[in-house]
Amino acid sequence: MGSLTALLEGFATAAQPEYLLYALLGVTLGTAVGVLPGIGPAMTVALLLPLTYSLEPTAALIIFAGIYYGGMYGGSTTSILLNTPGESSSVVTALEGNRMARAGRGAAALATAAIGSFVAGTIATILLTALAPTIADLAVTLGPADYVALMVVAFTTVAALLGASPVRGLASLGIGLFIGLVGTDTLTGQQRFTLGVPTLSDGIDVVVVAVGVFAVGEALYVAARMRHGPVEVVPVGGKWMTAEFWRRSWKPWLRGTFIGFPIGTVPAGGADVSTFLSYAAEKKLAKRPEEFGRGAIEGVAGPEAANNAAAAGVLVPLLTLGLPTTATAAVIVAAFQSYGIQPGPLLFTNNSAMVWALIASLYIGNVMLLVLNLPLVKIWVKVLQIPRPYLYAGILLFAALGTYAVNFVVDDLIVLLVIGVAGFFMRRHGYPVAPLVVGLILGPMAEEQVRRTLQISQGSLTALVTSPFAAVAYSVLAAVLAFAIVLRVRRKASRPTAAPTP
Amino acid sequence: MTSPETSSGDSASSTPPSASAKAEEYVFGGLVVALGVFTLVDATTITARGPLGTVGPRAFPYAVGVLLVVTGVMAIVATLRGRLGPAEDAEDVDTSVLTDWPTVAKLVAVLVAHLALIDLVGWPVAAMVLFFGAAWTLGAIWWKALVIAVVLALAVQVVFASGLGLSLPAGVFEGVPLLDG
Repeated sequence: MGSLTALLEGFATAAQPEYLLYALLGVTLGTAVGVLPGIGPAMTVALLLPLTYSLEPTAALIIFAGIYYGGMYGGSTTSILLNTPGESSSVVTALEGNRMARAGRGAAALATAAIGSFVAGTIATILLTALAPTIADLAVTLGPADYVALMVVAFTTVAALLGASPVRGLASLGIGLFIGLVGTDTLTGQQRFTLGVPTLSDGIDVVVVAVGVFAVGEALYVAARMRHGPVEVVPVGGKWMTAEFWRRSWKPWLRGTFIGFPIGTVPAGGADVSTFLSYAAEKKLAKRPEEFGRGAIEGVAGPEAANNAAAAGVLVPLLTLGLPTTATAAVIVAAFQSYGIQPGPLLFTNNSAMVWALIASLYIGNVMLLVLNLPLVKIWVKVLQIPRPYLYAGILLFAALGTYAVNFVVDDLIVLLVIGVAGFFMRRHGYPVAPLVVGLILGPMAEEQVRRTLQISQGSLTALVTSPFAAVAYSVLAAVLAFAIVLRVRRKASRPTAAPTP
Repeated sequence: MTSPETSSGDSASSTPPSASAKAEEYVFGGLVVALGVFTLVDATTITARGPLGTVGPRAFPYAVGVLLVVTGVMAIVATLRGRLGPAEDAEDVDTSVLTDWPTVAKLVAVLVAHLALIDLVGWPVAAMVLFFGAAWTLGAIWWKALVIAVVLALAVQVVFASGLGLSLPAGVFEGVPLLDG
């Protein structure tokens, strides 16, 4: 009841021409960076963080949320039309979507992805609207020890459960935590790891790290093994408004939504998991499973819906607990922080007008994205064809500009280069970069909560686990980890017999 | 039952680890360990002052140091056993070709030139060098890259100087209307 009026007020705010324009700017930018290889929403939001100095919070967050949602839409266009899939969360889409495009059914693949994204994004935003205030009410009672537990869960799942190598994920997390340590300790004013360099005493800016690891790291990585020659884009062909299209698409959209949203919500998020699960489900339920691998529309509709629903799900822990579970979400937390706002349970009471305007703008943004990605998809096909040398030179230029514009000191560019080179080697050796960004932003928060807990308990470590909520969180985490280890061992045991011949 | 297999996963596991890839992995793992050791050693120099009975500014750095050392060592051990980290895939990456180190080195050099030039000749020229150098290194036609570099750098300079009220150092363009904020 109360939240419905709040939502309507949010719509009244978000529908003002000024905010509509910000939303349009966000979703357009988001689609563009989603379409373009080499840049993603996390880096774009990081590059635009300096906007927080000149824009008011509601406007900036509407732009960032638009970029976040838009990136999910744009990625599918690339994986359907480009012959070379990338970006993990859309790999599954590429499996079927790219084959559909090559078989002359590109229009149908693009349409089912766009409409599926819209359906899933809207339903998931409704679920977010319904759930978030309730979760925030419950979360108000959580103490510092409970937050520590939640962060440990987030660290472990982001670093160790996702990705091919848990050890490398944890190492990446460690590097992020270390970067977060550099600077002045908030509680005692002590300098840590600054090497006596004055620039480092304020810490290393999130913009520099995110841009370094995503933009510079990615540009160097691509440059090392660039696919030369013209960009091969599959021409869009075929009709999509057919009875068969709707009949085969609507169920996967809904299934994808209800697979994706919960996965996004729990701090084991990441869109990739949800797309894989949705794909597996569609394959299993398909009447003609033999079509999978040859361009089955269900294999595009389901995962694309799941992907967008998961993106909305990620906003639940972000807005209600202040817990980011993806790199983009972590950078959005940094945006909140630069306004002195801590996302968390108090957000819905202290900044109610802002947060409801933000949620309302998600509904509006979804409609805009449907228009941008369905009738206007041809524009993005052009964007996709930008010759790569210019694209990556541009990425480097704006990365350097964004970094330099934070403080107008050249020292930041040196840090950018170092982190960029580190990001390059991390990509080469299977160290995922998302845990680094999450560690960088959650690390200082986690340290503060640990120290607050121990301050209350007079230094007794048991206080970290004795709260009922924390105890439950750690037990669930232990169970999930045990399950994951069993799965890994079983998979390893079955491998030699499963694939003896190449 | 089984999760769908991506083509990237297959190709990553089927290519035999080359000796140089392995050597690089050892070096990177070693660097992670070194960062951890540095964290542990440097943490001891933090003057721990805090109210009695609380955790000071050293405890968390110690934990991070241990995490880095342990994971670095484990990554090295995994490499020893032949379990290399799979290289990430991306749309524009051709995994079948060998690493083009000269290109990487040139890009790093271009970035170094950019940051060294800002204070000497100003941002617009440094930006032109960065864009032109990077695009040319990556295979663009030189005159096209040059034209775009000049237009892009000057446009950004004008937007910053007039629109955002933040002034990038104009350098050689100091005093020029529109370019000097």
